[in-house]
Amino acid sequence: MANGGLSIAHSHSGHVCVVRLTGRIDNSNASEVTTQLSGLIVSGEKNILVDFDGVLYLTSAAFRALLIAADQAERNAARLAMCSVKGHVHDLFEMGGLLDSFTILGSRDEALARLA
Amino acid sequence: MRSIEVTLRNNPADISVIRSALDRFGAEERIPGKVLIEMQVVLDEIVSNVIKYAWPGGGSHDFLVRLSIDHTTVGVEVVDDGQAYDPRDAPMPAPASSSRRPPPGGLGIHLIKQLVDFLEYERIDEHNRVSLKKRFVAAALPQNEASDGKRRA
Repeated sequence: MANGGLSIAHSHSGHVCVVRLTGRIDNSNASEVTTQLSGLIVSGEKNILVDFDGVLYLTSAAFRALLIAADQAERNAARLAMCSVKGHVHDLFEMGGLLDSFTILGSRDEALARLA
Repeated sequence: MRSIEVTLRNNPADISVIRSALDRFGAEERIPGKVLIEMQVVLDEIVSNVIKYAWPGGGSHDFLVRLSIDHTTVGVEVVDDGQAYDPRDAPMPAPASSSRRPPPGGLGIHLIKQLVDFLEYERIDEHNRVSLKKRFVAAALPQNEASDGKRRA
């Protein structure tokens, strides 16, 4: 896994673009999350689901990337949601006071059902 | 109290150096996993801040990170000779007026304050000294080591 241990992959499930993050997100690689999400929004994706199932660790750099992407999605009439936010990753969202700042939708299957 | 000291350079690549040092220290000292992860976040945030903001004029600078542990507390101390900055004064991220989302700045210090039990700052001899401590409940020793300990005692 390059770039400090983060891999980013995306695929489509119906009209939802699922971005799967795996590894750790920190200052060394959070800009890649911004670049990837920004690219998808600019390319016209209207339903983007960020899957945190494989995220082991994150810092505020990840939150900055997500906040920038969420604002950009809003400006482009796109929906940006997150799923599988759990364990200490969920705890960090909570400590950052960010649980209400994003659309967080349980498991991947639950999220896909909601976004369908 | 046991401690280790690591000298870092104001280079983002050095974050991985201190992260590895904390991983090793945590394993040696049996710091519980959740506490170790939370202190990794704290260390990432505070060291990133020093590297990014302490020396606005640029150049190459060294600073010191000390990791410590006693029976109930794990500590991180960072000493640098950059511009004065007291993290206790950092404002909470304010919600943006047009959105329920906060602006994407200031979250790092906010997270640190949530994750530690003690945050102290001193400016001494043109140096910043930030001390962060987190209390924890020590993990029980494995059965064989606990009994070894009893035999030695």
